[in-house]
Amino acid sequence: MRILYINNDGGGFADYLNVAEAQTVGQFFEKQMPGREPHDYLIRVNRQPVPRDYVLQENDRVTLTPTKIEGAA
Amino acid sequence: MNDKQLVQVAGMIQEVLLKLRKSRYVECMQRLSLFMSKVQSVTHDSRRLGLALSRDWFAAAERCCKSIGRQLNEIPYTVCTAENILNRRDVKVPKLSVVAEEIRALQDEFGDVEFNWDEKALCAVTEPITLEEVYLGRFRIALYIERLGDLYHQVPYCVMAIDPHPAATDEAVTHPHVSNEQVCEGDGGAAIRAALEAGRLTDFFTLVRSILTTYNPDSPYVPLADWYGTPCYECGYVMDSENSYYCTYCENAVCDECSAVCESCAEVVCKSCACACEICERSLCPHCAKTKCNQCESVCCASCLDDGLCPDCKEERDNDEEQQETGDDKGNAEEETTVGGRLADGGERTGTAHAAVQPHSVGQAPVLSGPLGQ
Repeated sequence: MRILYINNDGGGFADYLNVAEAQTVGQFFEKQMPGREPHDYLIRVNRQPVPRDYVLQENDRVTLTPTKIEGAA
Repeated sequence: MNDKQLVQVAGMIQEVLLKLRKSRYVECMQRLSLFMSKVQSVTHDSRRLGLALSRDWFAAAERCCKSIGRQLNEIPYTVCTAENILNRRDVKVPKLSVVAEEIRALQDEFGDVEFNWDEKALCAVTEPITLEEVYLGRFRIALYIERLGDLYHQVPYCVMAIDPHPAATDEAVTHPHVSNEQVCEGDGGAAIRAALEAGRLTDFFTLVRSILTTYNPDSPYVPLADWYGTPCYECGYVMDSENSYYCTYCENAVCDECSAVCESCAEVVCKSCACACEICERSLCPHCAKTKCNQCESVCCASCLDDGLCPDCKEERDNDEEQQETGDDKGNAEEETTVGGRLADGGERTGTAHAAVQPHSVGQAPVLSGPLGQ
């Protein structure tokens, strides 16, 4: 099934992805962000916070935004 | 914001995003024009190079090569920026309903969201922020809708401290990465721009918030360690660590005005610990101030002492020695027998220890009558 994936890490990335049926948000995160911790990101589905075991639906919009971004001077 | 106002604001934002889409194409054209002008310069210079070489004008050829080198050096950056904007030209403008959903999601995410109708700014307020035990307060992130249309030439948002707790040494720095209400985006710059171009308002505000809640010790305007500054022990002036000095003796922090450098050993001392040479009045540390004149015991720096004496005592000693020498010379002169010569009154010099004092003025003598006077 197709979802919209927006990753605000680095330069930003927004595109449609095909994901497996019955995939949870937690599984999706582990696949897309290997080695990263979920608590370092603001994870939203359809602009709303969801639990880790939320099962993704067709045309869902998943957004990952880092909670820590280093500014400069 | 009620629903009607929300839709109004969403409409304004969508309109600006449409203008921004046109701006992207204009920006593409400008970047490409810049690239083309550089290529034309290189072409022009290469023709001149050919002409110079055909006439063996090597100095002219060298100038052409330098010019070509400069252009070629700038071309990669020009290509990169042009490519960057070309890749982003096709960002879709969201529908009005999508923009309205973004504003609602923003309200859910931040809670405190309002639209300033005078400035046409969409504002969200963060929670109070504390970084490394330094309390900075809450910040208002204001996105100016009209400036969003000119995204490629100006920053469309600012960050204002609601309850400022600025750095002690610079009131304009209300956050380690905010100066004069402008955030230095650092690692978040590209993502912020992409979010604004796509009209992803919630992403934009959460990205800025993520910068505000993170401390980068490698590149702040003012480090948190210096946030409260250091007061000068002497005058109380608040200074940062780069402009503070520490007295070698009492170890108190002092400012540039209240510190001195020992003339003899170059150690830093505060005004309280510093002494002064009584001759040249330059600063001395307590250790070097123990150097004194052997005669009068006045505190002197090493350069003012001569043979262990201050200039006054040295002069006095020299004078004494001189007088002593003069006195000795006179005594020696009186003990010697004179050799030959008549005296002014015609008498002859005798072998007595004292010569007769001639009665006339020195340098003057009467002309004697007699054989010598003829």
